[in-house]
Amino acid sequence: MSTRVITGSVDDELWSAIGDPTRRRLLDLLLADGGGTATSLGRQLPVTRQAVAKHLGVLDRVGLVRGSLAGREKRYQVDDAQLARAAEQLASVGSAWDARLQRIKGIAEAIQRTQADRRGD
Amino acid sequence: MELGTIEREIFVDADPEVVFEVVSSPDHVKQWWPDDARYDAAPGSPGEIVFGDPAAGGMVVQFSVVEALPPRTFSFRWTHPVGETPARGNSLLVTFELAPSGRGTLLKMTETGFREMGWEVAVLEEQYREHVTGWDFYLARLGPYAESLAARP
Repeated sequence: MSTRVITGSVDDELWSAIGDPTRRRLLDLLLADGGGTATSLGRQLPVTRQAVAKHLGVLDRVGLVRGSLAGREKRYQVDDAQLARAAEQLASVGSAWDARLQRIKGIAEAIQRTQADRRGD
Repeated sequence: MELGTIEREIFVDADPEVVFEVVSSPDHVKQWWPDDARYDAAPGSPGEIVFGDPAAGGMVVQFSVVEALPPRTFSFRWTHPVGETPARGNSLLVTFELAPSGRGTLLKMTETGFREMGWEVAVLEEQYREHVTGWDFYLARLGPYAESLAARP
């Protein structure tokens, strides 16, 4: 395994790696099962084994998973420290939007109620 | 999707017309996001949103409407450098899509551009908000607490 230097550009790649829904699903499965191969993961997803292998490669490059040779296939596990780091960054921006959308909902629903009252609904 | 993207969906118990107003008009936007919003709803016009007091460490951020199609779509770009035309690569793109759903509206929000911009710009804004709301939170409690102390015999 290569030593990974954490830089700004790696952070961008990290973001892009996690931005993909299939890769997020892969991470979920790896966390739930404690690890897996492209074959075992492909069985649980509506994509080909080859596509899974490609996504695992992307996750591996940014350090989110680590692969070790198990028989003919690589067995992957989630790198907890790198995932925690990514989750923290994503959660920060995502939770800001969650809060904004809750406020949008509150404001719009209050306006709707006021209009309904005026109409005498 | 290959780019770093945030996607959220929320059901709002209000008509799409009402929700559209809330996500697009500067007067409403500053109720749910920045402290101030100055922009023209016409696509392409330069505008800005303001966080905090710019004279005291606040931030002025560029903001420009990309598409306004009431009551279905509202999108804008933000965080591009002053004087630059907002485009892919120099800004984050936020898109609101509204669809009627039952008695209300399904509101979908996506924010893209992190891969090109780096996530730092978005995190910076969020940290700033946390900082501000953090102080709001503590100061709001400090007042009554100080009064309760003063009221003791």
